[in-house]
Amino acid sequence: MQTAGDYVCTVLSSRQVLPGVFSVEFESPEISSVALPGQFVQVEPSPGVFPVTRRPVTINRLTESGFELLFDVVGRGTQLMARFLPGDMVRVMGPLGKGWDVDQDKTWLLIGGGLGAAGFQFLVDSVRSSGVIIGASGADRVIPVQAQTVHIVTEDGSRGSRGLVTALISEELLARADSIAVCGPVAMMEAVWNTIPEAHRSKVQVSTESRMGCGWGVCDGCSIPVSGGGYRKCCVEGPVFPGDTIDWKRWKEAGL
Amino acid sequence: MSSPSLTRKFWGTEFVSPVMLASGTSGFGEELFKLGCLTGAGAVVSKAVTMKPRSGNPPPRLLETPFGLLNSIGLANPGARYVLENILPAVSNLPCPLVINVAGESVQEFADVVSVLKESGVHIGYEINVSCPNVAEGGAAFGVDPEVVFRVSEAVSQVADRPFSVKLTPNGGDMVQAAVAAQQGGASAVTVCNTFLGMMIDWKTGKSVIKRKVAGYTSPALLPLVVARVWQVSNAVSVPVISSGGVSCGQDVLQLLAAGAEMVQVGTRLMRRPCAAGELLDEMKKLTGEQ
Ligand SMILES: Cc1cc2nc3c(=O)[nH]c(=O)nc-3n(C[C@H](O)[C@H](O)[C@H](O)COP(=O)(O)OP(=O)(O)OC[C@H]3O[C@@H](n4cnc5c(N)ncnc54)[C@H](O)[C@@H]3O)c2cc1C
Ligand SMILES: Cc1cc2nc3c(=O)[nH]c(=O)nc-3n(C[C@H](O)[C@H](O)[C@H](O)COP(=O)(O)O)c2cc1C
Ligand code: FES
Repeated sequence: MQTAGDYVCTVLSSRQVLPGVFSVEFESPEISSVALPGQFVQVEPSPGVFPVTRRPVTINRLTESGFELLFDVVGRGTQLMARFLPGDMVRVMGPLGKGWDVDQDKTWLLIGGGLGAAGFQFLVDSVRSSGVIIGASGADRVIPVQAQTVHIVTEDGSRGSRGLVTALISEELLARADSIAVCGPVAMMEAVWNTIPEAHRSKVQVSTESRMGCGWGVCDGCSIPVSGGGYRKCCVEGPVFPGDTIDWKRWKEAGL
Repeated sequence: MSSPSLTRKFWGTEFVSPVMLASGTSGFGEELFKLGCLTGAGAVVSKAVTMKPRSGNPPPRLLETPFGLLNSIGLANPGARYVLENILPAVSNLPCPLVINVAGESVQEFADVVSVLKESGVHIGYEINVSCPNVAEGGAAFGVDPEVVFRVSEAVSQVADRPFSVKLTPNGGDMVQAAVAAQQGGASAVTVCNTFLGMMIDWKTGKSVIKRKVAGYTSPALLPLVVARVWQVSNAVSVPVISSGGVSCGQDVLQLLAAGAEMVQVGTRLMRRPCAAGELLDEMKKLTGEQ
């Protein structure tokens, strides 16, 4: 099993890839040599004491000497992270969590909503994929993913077809895939889950998000409601779970 | 000014440092041990253990505020039996002593949990969490009533075969009186103190973001509140005072020691710095000139 560590990493590059969406590349052979697709890192957004927790971000892609993160600026932590400059030294703990179950030699279909597709490149680079479906509100929110077949759908029709990701899910695409990766807002993931017929559901893996304290399993703050009652820790038992693990109703009630 | 020694000896145990990792912020120590983060830790305090398993509160369980953290974990834990049989054996090799935090819904439950756990030789003592609601007697926290604190402390001391601290609550009641009552009941230390009640409301819905409405607030900004309470309590009891709350740097630990604390817990800071124990100890050594 790979082991996580807390490292001071040098920022190699930082750029805005879409309005409000930043790509930051860190130098870290320690993390990139053991990271698996779907794992995340915990980033210290500032050198001081506040904010009191780190920010979890999925590894989007491995690079020559480290890894790249893609994140949306939504609040104080990500605002600070958007100001990282090349040469900055930032404390990053990782790789953390259980990523996509890529043990077998399988063909993947990837379905991402909004920033949920941040993280897909690493999976595409690691497996055989039959297609990537990316949904976004508009053209300026379409996360770039390099793959052989990318289907894009936007709510306002400004890029690709107009509509929601669920409209692009066809029996043909599902049948060709041995594994299906889903990541996006809870409502989107639930809609995708409900659209996928029973027969294909056992192939589905979902990547979840939860408010985290630690990120390494000690605080019990990140628990996600699971089918049949109880909770699982997003940070160590996830963030990727088999689709049928999640209790969508209770998870939506959390209002995250 | 005399520089305080940074090793400790009490409860028949030697501690390499005055820094304890606070309950609920370090599990049972296993994860931090694997990360190499127990260097410099005097002791680890486990998350709360109750008699029966508890799955915990519905999410969100955490809410970060501008200057701190609200938590509503709901004492999630697998229950005393499971802890005894499965968790304690797995942490028998920790490089520092382990203290078990115990919670309950009745005076009796605290004693029951201790009775189960005393079959294990892994931990050196207990921390009795009287901040939780006394469900059996109306639901107010045990800790707000010195008479109830006395009864809890007495019930635990009748069954405990090793030392215990009573972790007091700042939310109502007179903490100094509660500390004296804990000592009279047989406590061999008091922990000052648990989290402060806090709430954050989404003004658009008018509802608390945390489903259980109020939650426990922790923050480095609580430092002066904890210093004052440690100072008051340590002037009133003869047992060691363990501080809990407000620490983010070595200077904070030294200040709490100066206020009368024998050991100083660090909690929320571990969310940013899992290796905080070692960092705090290094900072203290630098400040005091101790090698
Ligand atoms: C495993 C995991 C992987 C993630 N990967 C990515 C990614 O690749 N790209 C990306 O843009 N975002 C990702 N997120 C979401 C990202 O962590 C949040 O957007 C970020 O924490 C927001 O911080 P803030 O201070 O800017 O926002 P604020 O809203 O000010 O944050 C307040 C608090 O809420 C927490 N928080 C807010 N939104 C979220 C959220 N969606 N999930 C978890 N915690 C949240 C923050 O960490 C902070 O503690 C991921 C989350 C998790 C749990
Ligand atoms: C996520 C979290 C969980 C906690 N769980 C417990 C608990 O189970 N029992 C307990 O007595 N205190 C619990 N506490 C309180 C801490 O042990 C400690 O008293 C508190 O965090 C104050 O210290 P700090 O300011 O360094 O965080 C918890 C605190 C946090 C942040
Ligand atoms: S974030 Fe602390 S246990 Fe998952």
